[in-house]
Amino acid sequence: MMFQPRVENAVQALGERISHDDILRCIRCGLCSYTCPTYRVENCESMGPRGRLALVRALIEGKLELSPRFAEKFYDCVLCAACTSACPGGTQSDAMMLEARRILYKAGLAPEPIAGLLARLEAQHNISGEDNAGRLMWSSNMERAPGGLGRRQAEMVYFVGCVSSLFPMSFSIPQAFSRTLDLAGVNYALLGEAEWCCGYPAYISGDVELARQAAAHNLEVIRSAGARQVVVTCPSCYHVFTHIYPELLGEGALAGLKVLHATELLADLLEGGALRPAGQAVRVTYHDPCDLGRKSKLFLPPRRVLHAIPGLELVEMASTGENSLCCGGGGNVESSAPSLVESMAARRLAEAQDTGAELIVTACQQCKRTLTSAARKRRVRMRILDVVELVWQALSAEG
Amino acid sequence: MEFCREFVQELEQIVGPAYVHTDPVDLQCYAFDATFEEWRPDVVVRPATTDEVARVLRLCNEARVPVIPRGMGSGLAGGTVPSPNGGLVLSLTRMNRIQEIDEVNMTVTVEAGVITADLQAEVERRGLFYPPDPSSIKHSTIGGNIACNAGGPRCLKYGVTKDYVMGVKAVLADGRVFSAGGKPIKYVTGYDLPALLTGSEGTLAVVTEALLRLTVKPTVARTAAVAFHDLDLASQAVNKVLWAGFVPATLELMDDTTIHTVEEYLHIGLPLDAAAMLIVESDGRDERVVDDEMQGMVEIFRAAGAADVRVAKDEKERDALWRGRRSVSPSLARRRPHKLGEDISLPRSAIPEAIRRIKGVAAKYGLPIAIFGHAGDGNLHPNILFDRRDAEEWARVQQAMAEIFAIALELGGTLTGEHGVGIMKRPFVSQALDPTAVEAMWRIKRALDPHNILNPGKVFPAEVTG
Repeated sequence: MMFQPRVENAVQALGERISHDDILRCIRCGLCSYTCPTYRVENCESMGPRGRLALVRALIEGKLELSPRFAEKFYDCVLCAACTSACPGGTQSDAMMLEARRILYKAGLAPEPIAGLLARLEAQHNISGEDNAGRLMWSSNMERAPGGLGRRQAEMVYFVGCVSSLFPMSFSIPQAFSRTLDLAGVNYALLGEAEWCCGYPAYISGDVELARQAAAHNLEVIRSAGARQVVVTCPSCYHVFTHIYPELLGEGALAGLKVLHATELLADLLEGGALRPAGQAVRVTYHDPCDLGRKSKLFLPPRRVLHAIPGLELVEMASTGENSLCCGGGGNVESSAPSLVESMAARRLAEAQDTGAELIVTACQQCKRTLTSAARKRRVRMRILDVVELVWQALSAEG
Repeated sequence: MEFCREFVQELEQIVGPAYVHTDPVDLQCYAFDATFEEWRPDVVVRPATTDEVARVLRLCNEARVPVIPRGMGSGLAGGTVPSPNGGLVLSLTRMNRIQEIDEVNMTVTVEAGVITADLQAEVERRGLFYPPDPSSIKHSTIGGNIACNAGGPRCLKYGVTKDYVMGVKAVLADGRVFSAGGKPIKYVTGYDLPALLTGSEGTLAVVTEALLRLTVKPTVARTAAVAFHDLDLASQAVNKVLWAGFVPATLELMDDTTIHTVEEYLHIGLPLDAAAMLIVESDGRDERVVDDEMQGMVEIFRAAGAADVRVAKDEKERDALWRGRRSVSPSLARRRPHKLGEDISLPRSAIPEAIRRIKGVAAKYGLPIAIFGHAGDGNLHPNILFDRRDAEEWARVQQAMAEIFAIALELGGTLTGEHGVGIMKRPFVSQALDPTAVEAMWRIKRALDPHNILNPGKVFPAEVTG
C-alpha cells in the first residue's frame, strides 16, 4: 500500500506516454511471438511481446494494476526489438516495453537486482560496482602498453565500455583492439577513470535521469580530449551514443563528433590496406548483436571485416541480419533472470551449430560472454570470438 | 468463478506449480485471441504430456470447470477466448515435440503444440512437405490448425488441414485417452474420429498428438499477377483456367479497395485502376512442366480479357508479389484501429455477385470493406475497418456483418471457410445449418462431453445449448 500514490501517478504517466491508439495498433495477431527469444524458450503468452502489450493495454484501460509480477514481465524482456521488426502493422513494441520499465522504475517496482545495478552505477559510474579507477586494468599485463594510455589529447577516443574494462573475461577485446589501432598507426586516447558507464543500463532500467548525467559527462570528457571521433567496441555504447544521447541531450548532442563502431573503422583500415591480415582457413558464422544490427543497422561492416580476412569462410545462421536472434544477454535480464538467459543462448548456439561453423564471431563483449558461458554449461564445442580478436589473431599470425 | 485453493493445489500437483497461473497479470495474457473479444480465465494450466492433460481434464470434469484448450491464440473467431463465466485455459504450447518423421510412409507424428512453421521447416529439411499454409503458420500450432481445420492459399491444389490428419491421440472430457486412425492411407475400420475432431474447435476432445500425412516438397514455383478491369471477367477467367485442367497451387484475389490499401502501404506498383487482381502460382518439381503450366494459364487470362499480366521474372519479383498478398491484413490494420475479418465461403460461381453485394453493404453503412481471398476455392475475406470505441459505428459494423452472412447464405455459401465459428459467428449458425443437423451435432457433443466442460459457449447457438 505504501507505493499506491506513486503507482497511480505512474499509470497516469504511462497513459500520457503511450496513447490508446498506439496500443490498438497491435491487432494481437501473435506474429511477434515467433521471433521473441523469451517466448520461444518459455512458450508462454506472458513471456512474449503480444502478452506484454496486452498488459500495458489492460493497465491503460484500467483493467489491471501495477504489481511486482507485472514488473517481472517487463524486466524479463531482452529489448532485442525483434518484435518491432516483425510487426507488419508497425507497432513500436520495444519502445513500449521501455516506457513500461520507466513507469515501473518510478513506481519503485524495479526488481531488486535492477535496483542494485542502479545503485552501483550511481556510486561508481560502472556496472560492476568496483572502483572506477580500475578501468584500465585490462592494459596492465600487456607486453607493450597501448598507445592511447596516458595520451591526453587525440583525434580519436577509444571508449572501452564497462564490460571490457572491468570483466577479466573480456579484457582480450580492448587488448586486441588497442594493439590493432597501434599497428595501424591510429592516434587515439583512452579515458581511464574519466570514462563512465555510457548510461544504457540505467536508461533501459528506467532511470533516465542517471542516463542523462552519464551522457553529459562522457561527451564533456571526450570533447575536452580534443577528439572529433569516438570509436567503441561495444554495440550498446554505439547504440546509446548514436541514438539515445541525442534524445537525452538534444539533437545537437553529437555536434562535431563522429561515433564509429570498431567494425566500421577496421573495415576501412583492412580494405584500404593499412592492415594486412594473414590467411585464416576457418569456417565462421557471424552473430549480429541486437544493438549493432537490428537497432543500429550496422549489418555490413562486421561482414566486410570478415571478408577481408583471406581464407575465411562465412556461413550465415538461419536467423540473421534484421531477423537475428538475441543471444539472451540484452536488456539487463542477466541481472534478474540468469537461467532464462542461458536458455536463450542455447537456442542461438543450436542455430550456430547447424551451420557447421567451427567458430562464432560476434562484435560484442556481452554476446561473447553470454554465448561462451552457455556453451560451457551445455558442453557445446564451439568457440566464440569478438571480431576484433579475430582480426588481431590474423594480424599477429602474419608477424 | 472462484476457485478454491484445493483445486489449484491439485492442478499444481499434476503439472508443477510453475505451470499453473492465477495472478491477474498472467490471466490477462490468456484473455484474448486475434479478435477483440476478451474475457479473463480463472486459471491457466500448461501441461507437458498427454497424461497431464488427462489428469487435468478428469479433475475439471468432476468439478464441472469449463476448459478452453488453446494453442498460440491466433484464432479469428474468438474460439480460445474464455466465456464470460471464466474457466480454465489449457495451454498446449509446451507440448511441442516432433516425435517421428517416417520418410518411407511420408508421415510425421507431432504433439499438438508444435508451431506449424517449425513443423514445415523440419520436414522440408528432408525434402518432405506439409502443405496447409494458413497465414498464421508462424503463430499457430498444429493443434489449433486441427481444431479449426485451417486452410490457406495453397489449399486449391493441396487441400486443407483435414486432408492431412491421418490419426490423433486425444483426451475425452472425462480424462480418458484414446488413439484413432493410423498410417494406412485407406482406413475405414469404424467411424473416422480424426475427421470428426478436425474442425471441432476444442468442443469434443483435446487433441494432444497428431499423425500427419506429408508429400514431396515442390522445388520450382512460378508466380504471376493478373489485373482485370471487370470482376466478372476475372471470375470467368478463373473458371476457364480450372476447366482447362490446370491446378495452380494458389489463385488469390484482391479487390480494388484492397489493392489501393496495400499499394498505399508498400508502393510496389500494384494496378490502381484494376477492379480485381489475381495472384496465381504454379509449382512442381519439373521446371519445364511448371513453366508450361504458367504459360498456359497466362494465355487463358489474356484471352479472357485481362488488362495486365505480369509473371515474376525471378525470386525477388516473386517475393514482392507475395509480400503484397501477405501485407493485406497489416495494411488494412493501419487504416483504422479495429478490423473485423470474415471468411465466408461460396460456390466459385457466386464470387462476383457476392463482391458486388458486399460493396453495396459498405456503401449502405458508410464503412470501408476490403475484400480479398482465395478465388480458386470461393473463400472470401471481407474485412470491415472501424473504431470499436465509437458505439454508433460498432452498431453499423454488426449490421453490416449480419448482412454479409446473409449474402453468403443466399448465394449458396456458408459462414466460415477456415476460421471457425468460435464466439463470433455463433448467433448466425442457426441460419446456416439444417436444424436437424445442428441437433445431431449437439447429440455428438453431449455424448462425448456430457457436462459441457469443453470450450462451452462456442460453435453451438444459445438456443441449442439452453
